[in-house]
Parts: sequence; structure tokens; C-alpha cells
Amino acid sequence: MSIEVKGVTKKFGDFNALGGVNLDIHTGELVALLGPSGSGKTTLLRIIAGLETPDSGSVIFHGNDATDQPTQDRQVGFVFQHYALFRHMTVAENIAFGLRVRPRKLRPNNTEIKNRVTNLLQLVQLEGLAERYPSELSGGQRQRVALARALAVEPKVLLLDEPFGALDARVRQELRRRLRKLHDELGVTTVFVTHDQEEALEVSDRVVVLNKGHIEQIGTPDEVYLEPKNAFVLNFLGNVNRFRGRADHGQVRIGDLTLDAPEHAALVDAPVSGFVRPHDIDITRHHNGDSASLIPATVTFIASLGPFVRVELERENGEPLDALLTRERYEELSLQSGEPVFIRARRLRVFADDVKPGGEDYSI
Amino acid sequence: MAQNRRTSSSKSDPLWVRVLLTLMALTFLGLFLAMPLCVVFIEAFQQGWRLWLSSLKDPDALAAMRLSLFAVVVAVPMNTIFGLCAAWVLTRFRFKGRSALLTLIDIPFAVSPVIAGMMLVLLFGSRGWFGSYLDAHNWKIVFATPGIILATAFVTMPFVARELIPLMESQGQEEEQAARTLGASGWQTFWRVTLPNIKWALLYGIILCSARAVGEFGAVSVVSGHITGQTMTLPLHIEARYNEYSTVAAFSAASVLALLALVTLAAKTFIELRGQVRKRH
Repeated sequence: MSIEVKGVTKKFGDFNALGGVNLDIHTGELVALLGPSGSGKTTLLRIIAGLETPDSGSVIFHGNDATDQPTQDRQVGFVFQHYALFRHMTVAENIAFGLRVRPRKLRPNNTEIKNRVTNLLQLVQLEGLAERYPSELSGGQRQRVALARALAVEPKVLLLDEPFGALDARVRQELRRRLRKLHDELGVTTVFVTHDQEEALEVSDRVVVLNKGHIEQIGTPDEVYLEPKNAFVLNFLGNVNRFRGRADHGQVRIGDLTLDAPEHAALVDAPVSGFVRPHDIDITRHHNGDSASLIPATVTFIASLGPFVRVELERENGEPLDALLTRERYEELSLQSGEPVFIRARRLRVFADDVKPGGEDYSI
Repeated sequence: MAQNRRTSSSKSDPLWVRVLLTLMALTFLGLFLAMPLCVVFIEAFQQGWRLWLSSLKDPDALAAMRLSLFAVVVAVPMNTIFGLCAAWVLTRFRFKGRSALLTLIDIPFAVSPVIAGMMLVLLFGSRGWFGSYLDAHNWKIVFATPGIILATAFVTMPFVARELIPLMESQGQEEEQAARTLGASGWQTFWRVTLPNIKWALLYGIILCSARAVGEFGAVSVVSGHITGQTMTLPLHIEARYNEYSTVAAFSAASVLALLALVTLAAKTFIELRGQVRKRH
């Protein structure tokens, strides 16, 4: 089932949780709502589920306006961040709940319910735990019960609020893959909320990046990672080095570097920032007369991260930089702490700084 | 570790201190709890259990017991429903005046029962605000059963709500929301999710409420009018008999009340134990 969100706004007191959000989710898609806390991602998910009513705007399920439809009629499966399992029911009773509350005519008989529960327990690999109570399960097991319970009613849409947030890293990775696999098997439209960019990039078909109640960018994981629309998306989707500079008539100056930036042709002597990911920085010892594209820096710290080596550097103006080298490249260079080197940015993206009244001058 | 330290620190107190403290505690318990309770039963059975039984079979005593029971049977369900509604509204919604309402619920605890009774007389008495209206329709509230029920209900109003509010606050409403997303209606959610989660606290509140309702004296005394056989509840009956120097009759009735209290206490302990077992679970 497709989901359309049209111009949805929501305020909590004076706090603008959502300020006019538009979003199309296609049938069978797996979409991640990614953003920092307070960005409105959970509110948006709860509005889709009907657990929250929007102040304005509408939610449309498969072409039908569902804005005023009560939660229990929306046929959404919702997995809560803290699972919200019924504590007085066993695992099996929890999973069967959605079937047992159906009106008599639509309710499967006891054997059917039992079979369904058994199948679901198999699906989430929890056979043998049917008679346990939620308090007797580990976090990861509870999470899977919550998932099975949501799937029992064969929802048209599966919504998950920070599904892996409360789990430790190992379990999280495993469940992430399981979710992706499950989604590919069942094909149910799935939306999940996360603040972990790695999780969003790994699992989803499309990522919706939210910030302060607005959507910053929607795109495939590659699109949002490789072609970020603005500095926020770039920053939020991984570590990045920032170079402050100025743009003037399509030319960007960062330190001694001058670059062509036709997309900023409209700017006249405006502050801009250049962003480079640590793995897009290369380090050399000699400038070979090519000083126009090189920035001098000093190695301050070297940290080995297994297959990669993180090199911390300091520019001449004292600004710190991070570079991520492959182990091969690092061994080739055999860098020493305290050594003067040159860095080259393989891929630099320039965004105009937000113009704030009385903003500082960032020229270098 | 902590357990060890606690034991060793109590061992380090000199013996005479421990003996003295224990004796003091026991003396107080004996003087103020055990002895009065024993006196009630001793006085009640002073002239044999036949007299005890016959004084309970006295029509006035029976009428008093019936009225007390009736007041409890009406007032306690009223307060149970009120308590559930109040706890639900106060824990599931955030609105202006919420904290004022939370305080308001405690008023019956803070106000002297006598004042509660007088308030009812001022409202519904023949010279009260609604007096002439009630007279015109030949409705009697004060000096009649409705007044006694109202007084009992007012005084015992906070018990159920007070038990439920902290529990429902801490449990949150995620389970209820989960039930809704699974297709449960409001009623189904209440019966299958909300109620099972609060049932022990609810029962506990009902028991406390009933115990207090049976024993209520002050407020009921003001609105009752003390009409023998009509508006005398069990506590009022006891007082009347005592004032007439019919000791056996007074204490026989009192023994019934005391017995009720003991049963309540047992039920309360049982529920507390159940609650603890479930928590450990």
C-alpha cells in the first residue's frame, strides 16, 4: 500500500514538531526516516499510524484519505521503540492479540490462530519461547516478539519506531539484516525511524532526512550520501571536514586554493564552506610545484582502525582535520606524528553558509 | 554485601538497646492495637455467645447492618468508576488545570468528615440551597438513605483514584496504543490491556475504600438524623447503644466491625503479596 503525506504540520505547545511535510512512499518500499532527536521523525511516523493527529495536512493510504481514520482501522503494524509488549500475556498471547480482538466474523478459529502464531514464531526464530512472559526475554527477543505481533494482523504498512535503538551493537546489526530480509520476503510497505545514518543507509530503499520538522532531502542511500543537497545532510550522514572560505562570482577561495564553482555564480563575496569526507582526503609529502591544489598541514595523531588508519592533522591556521587512509596507503607513506605534509581533497563540496545577521567572517 | 553490612551493623548495637527498642515497640503495639481489639471481643462475649448473637439479631442492629452494607454497595462502585475515570483522564491527557484536579481529588482526605456532613446539610437540608426544590418534589436526601450514601461516597472518594494514578502514570500508555494499532476497539483495549495491568491496584483501592466506607462515622453522623431503624448505620448504632449503657449490644456490633477490619487487612496483605510475586516475575 502506498502512503502519501501532504502538507502535514504538528505543534506541541510552542514546539514546531512538523512544519509542512510532503512525502510519497511507494507500495512495497522500505523507507528510513532519518534525523537527529527533535527533528520530527517519530511524530511523522505516529501521524501515519494515527497515534497522533496532524494540526493540518492529510495522510493518504492508497489513494484514500485516512487522516480522520482511527488507528485501529488503519491496518498498520507498529513496532514501538520500547516494544510495548503486553506484560500480563505470554509471547503467544501477545502475538495472537490482534487476531483475537477481531469481530467474530473475521476472527480465525483457535487452531488457525495457533498455527499462525507458530508460523510467526518460526519467522522471527523464537520457537520454544511461546509460553514465556515478556519480562523473561532479552531485548532482542522482545523486539522480535513485537515484530511478530505487528505482522500477525497482516498489516498493509509496517511502521517501526527506532526498532534497534535499545539494543547492543551486535544484536542491532543482526536484526537490521533480518528486517531487510523479512521485508524482501513479505513485500510489505515499511517505514522506520532512526537516528543512525549507517542503519538508514544499509537497510532502506530510500532515506528521508529530516531536520527541525522539515524534510531536507529524499533519495536512495547513494543519492543522499554522494549527492547531499545541503550542508546539514552532508554533515548528518557521516564525518566531514569543513573548510571555511568565500565565494565570489563563481569562484571559491579556501586559503590559497581557488576553485571554480559555477553553481555559486550568484554569490558576491559571500561566506561558504567546503566539505570533504575523511576518506576523500589524500596525503602527500611533496608538492611537486602543484601547490595550487594542496593544503599544508601537520600530522598530530595516528589511530589504527583495523583495515583503515585515521590520521588527525592540523592546518597552518590551527584548524583540525581528519583523514581516513587505507592501511596500504598508510604503510606506503609511513607517516610519523608531528610530520609536515600536504593534503589534497579528492571530492570537495561547497555550500553557502546560512546568512545570519551579524555573522562572523569566516575568511582564511 | 549490603545485606551483610546491614546485619553486622545491627549486631554492633548493644544488646540492651535492641531489647529496649523491641520492648517499646511491642508495648505500643499492645497498648494501642492489640488490647483495644481484645477488649472489643471480650466485652462482646462477656455474657456468652448467645447474648452476643441475640444482640446482633436485634431488629435495630440488623437494620443498621443492612443500611451500612447498602451504603457500601452503592458508594464503593460509584467511587470505583469515578476513580477509574479520574485516573484515566489524569494520566492519559495533559491539559490545563490537571495539577489543580490532582489536588482536588485529595480534598475529602484533607477535610474533616464533620465538615463534609455539614456541607451536605447546607446543600440539601430543608433550609439549604436546594432544600425548597427538593421539598417541592418530595425528595429527601438529608436525614435519609441518599444523604448517608452521599456522605460515605464523599469521604471515601480518593481511595481508588489515589491507588491507580501513580501506577497508570508509571505504566504509560504504549501498551494501549499498541492494542489500538492491532485493531482493538476502546472497550477491548480497556478490558484486555488496561484492566489486567491495574487489577491488583484497583482491588487494593476497592478494599481500602470499602473498609473506610463501613466505618465512616463523622460525616454520616451529621446527615443521618439518628432515626432508629431507618438512618442508623452500624457505627452510629454502636455509639447509640454505648450511650444507653447497653455495653454488650454496643460491643457485639463493634465486634462485627472489628471482624470486618481484620478480614480487610487479610485481603490487603494477600493482594500485596500477589503484587510482589508478580513484580518479581
